[in-house]
Amino acid sequence: MTETWRVILGLCAGTFAIRLSGVLIGQRIPASGAWARGLRALPGCLIVALVAVSLLSGGAREWGAGLVALAVAVATGNLPLTMASGIAAIWLLRQFG
Amino acid sequence: MTQRPDPRRDAWSGARDIVPLAVGVAIYGLAFGLLAVQAAFAPAQIGVMAAVVFAGGSQIVAAQQLLAGAGAVAALVAGLALNLRLLLVTASLRDVYAGRPWWQVALGAHLATDENWALLLAQRAKGREVGYWYLVGGGMCLLLVWCLATLAGAAFARAMPAPKSLGMDFAFTAAFIAIARSLWHGSRDLLPWLTAVAVVAAAIKLAGVAPSWALILGGVAGAAVAGVARDD
Repeated sequence: MTETWRVILGLCAGTFAIRLSGVLIGQRIPASGAWARGLRALPGCLIVALVAVSLLSGGAREWGAGLVALAVAVATGNLPLTMASGIAAIWLLRQFG
Repeated sequence: MTQRPDPRRDAWSGARDIVPLAVGVAIYGLAFGLLAVQAAFAPAQIGVMAAVVFAGGSQIVAAQQLLAGAGAVAALVAGLALNLRLLLVTASLRDVYAGRPWWQVALGAHLATDENWALLLAQRAKGREVGYWYLVGGGMCLLLVWCLATLAGAAFARAMPAPKSLGMDFAFTAAFIAIARSLWHGSRDLLPWLTAVAVVAAAIKLAGVAPSWALILGGVAGAAVAGVARDD
């Protein structure tokens, strides 16, 4: 078997195991108390962490475009519009900023 | 509103709502197809990988490692490290999988990605009753787009500009900013979210931790702060 197939099958098995483990762990976390509060807060924290990783890997232009996207998100609450504004802002800042 | 939503309608609306995010996925699919060709993947391997792995970031990282001559083990480790966050994604969807037959759990787990997960949560935050079939509908749409785009990238994208030069690398950052905005419940989120950002920043800038691990540390630290807080 070639190296490429080994990587594909390994990623397939490993990624599915990760996804399924999450399901099984989630089902076993208590429905109330500190663990439940933590699990309820997890998505927001993870999404904020995703954004932080992405902005930290860039520079001032990325932060600027992030602020533009945040302003549009707060003003409109509209997903496609926020995406379009963020893409336009980063493109303009990289061309001219 | 205790009525269960109709599965078929729920799946269709999941597929429809994900379209803006699917455009971003398509651009990255084209880029991945091109990269995979450079890393000596056959078309069959590209198509199979898109369908059975279905985690774009890890596929890109693994192909980059192979292209750099790092070997199969290094490619696998880098790709799986990036996918560890999916454990937190599916764990946080526990009500979506609860009480489902095993094949639905397996299907829903495989189809869970950052995009349809975050979209489902954002819809719920707006008060819509969406669940398992909404996630699966969005996931199916993304899977189809991802497979077609990676194959198209392998076939035609020789002259395609890099996503970054179009600003497309920012598409998902902007999307997650919009989704974070709709998940904001008020001041009780402030401390957990600041903790998440501070831990990510400290891990990357001070401790030199790889981004895929910093992300998990930040998310878990923020959730832990929310867990020990006594406000509900």
